[in-house]
Amino acid sequence: MASNPMEQFTVYRIGPEIKIAGIDLSFTNASLFMVISASIVLLFLFLGSKEKKIIPNKIQLISEMFYKFVAKMISDTAGPKAKPYFPFIFSLFMFVLFCNMVGMLPYSFTVTSHIIVTLILALFIFVAVTVIGFIKHGFKYLSIFVPSGVPAVLLPLITIIEIISYLSRPVSLSVRLFANMMAGHTMLKVFGGFVVSLGILGGWLPLSFSVALTGLEILVAFLQAYVFAILTCIYLNDALNLHH
Amino acid sequence: MKSVLGSVIACIAIDTNLFAAEAGMPQLDPTYWASQAFWLILVFVILYISISKFYLPKIKSNLVNRENKISKDLEDANDLKEKSDSKIKEYEIILENAKREVSKIHFESKNNLDKNIQLKKEEMEKEIEKEILKAQKEISDLKKSSISSIQNISKNIASDIIQNISGDKLNESSIKAAVEEISKKNINRYL
Repeated sequence: MASNPMEQFTVYRIGPEIKIAGIDLSFTNASLFMVISASIVLLFLFLGSKEKKIIPNKIQLISEMFYKFVAKMISDTAGPKAKPYFPFIFSLFMFVLFCNMVGMLPYSFTVTSHIIVTLILALFIFVAVTVIGFIKHGFKYLSIFVPSGVPAVLLPLITIIEIISYLSRPVSLSVRLFANMMAGHTMLKVFGGFVVSLGILGGWLPLSFSVALTGLEILVAFLQAYVFAILTCIYLNDALNLHH
Repeated sequence: MKSVLGSVIACIAIDTNLFAAEAGMPQLDPTYWASQAFWLILVFVILYISISKFYLPKIKSNLVNRENKISKDLEDANDLKEKSDSKIKEYEIILENAKREVSKIHFESKNNLDKNIQLKKEEMEKEIEKEILKAQKEISDLKKSSISSIQNISKNIASDIIQNISGDKLNESSIKAAVEEISKKNINRYL
């Protein structure tokens, strides 16, 4: 067993080295687990939508629950205008959720514990939301930085703060997910290490902590996927409905 | 807070090699960043396309189907209920009519019967009266005939008695006249 709690996050190459234009695009364990998570999502949805029953079986019921859950989340936060973006948000939620959940299995790799992965997702969302905002509202979209009902004296300051908070959206979105996943897995590993080092006499306490933490981490895995998706909806709402 | 965190991350990102080595965070080792980005985009695009093209429409149509089925079933149930209500009403009307008919028939037949009985009764009474009259007439006839025969007999008896007593044979017509006179006197006692 690895003694370093950070070692679980190491990315290593699987199979041959793939280099395109001098950039290393090799298939790694991270890629493997992305593929595994996505495959599980697809398999799950395939089984869930295979039989079109009026009275659903269990897996169909669960997939329909996910559908309704995400649909409700979007309509609650972003309204009916966000309907065209439903497939994206659904894919995003399912992908992040299953990456998080697969990461909870022992000896697996947590894709979302890597800042680069979450940052790319967050940056894509940020750019897409900004583009959608400008397409829908033109330069009026910039009024998102000028909240109404603010005294004229405070307006420049508030505007600067709004711009900074807007620009930090991708960072906060990505770091939230990455840090949560990394911290949880590191903590689990640390407590796991304590179990080993304290042995059969003293190891019970950290073991029970580990068990409790595993439960907590499953909650966090779900919660962070939810938060990621709902923040995307909120950003989308700002871009689509532009009200302050 | 967010912006501070952002700038920290930005600093980390710029000076990755050094920081990653010190902190021991494999996340900050840029060796496979390009690979991760590439595979993430590839996998996510495939996932997105297959979800949006195949699975979501399927699930949606399924949900819509179910909702339609449920609302149709509810409608059908309502229709059937209305139908059964109207049938019950019809049935009640028919029942009401039938009851009325029955009481009408009952009333009519009772009337008819009464009339018939009355008629028969009258006929019977007439017949009885006729019979009585006939009988009375017979009786009076009989009485009349009996009077003449009584007179005859009494004349015979009287002439016999007179003959026996006196030995004379009296004139029959005078005896007859005497008997008739007496019988006329007393006839009212017997009639």
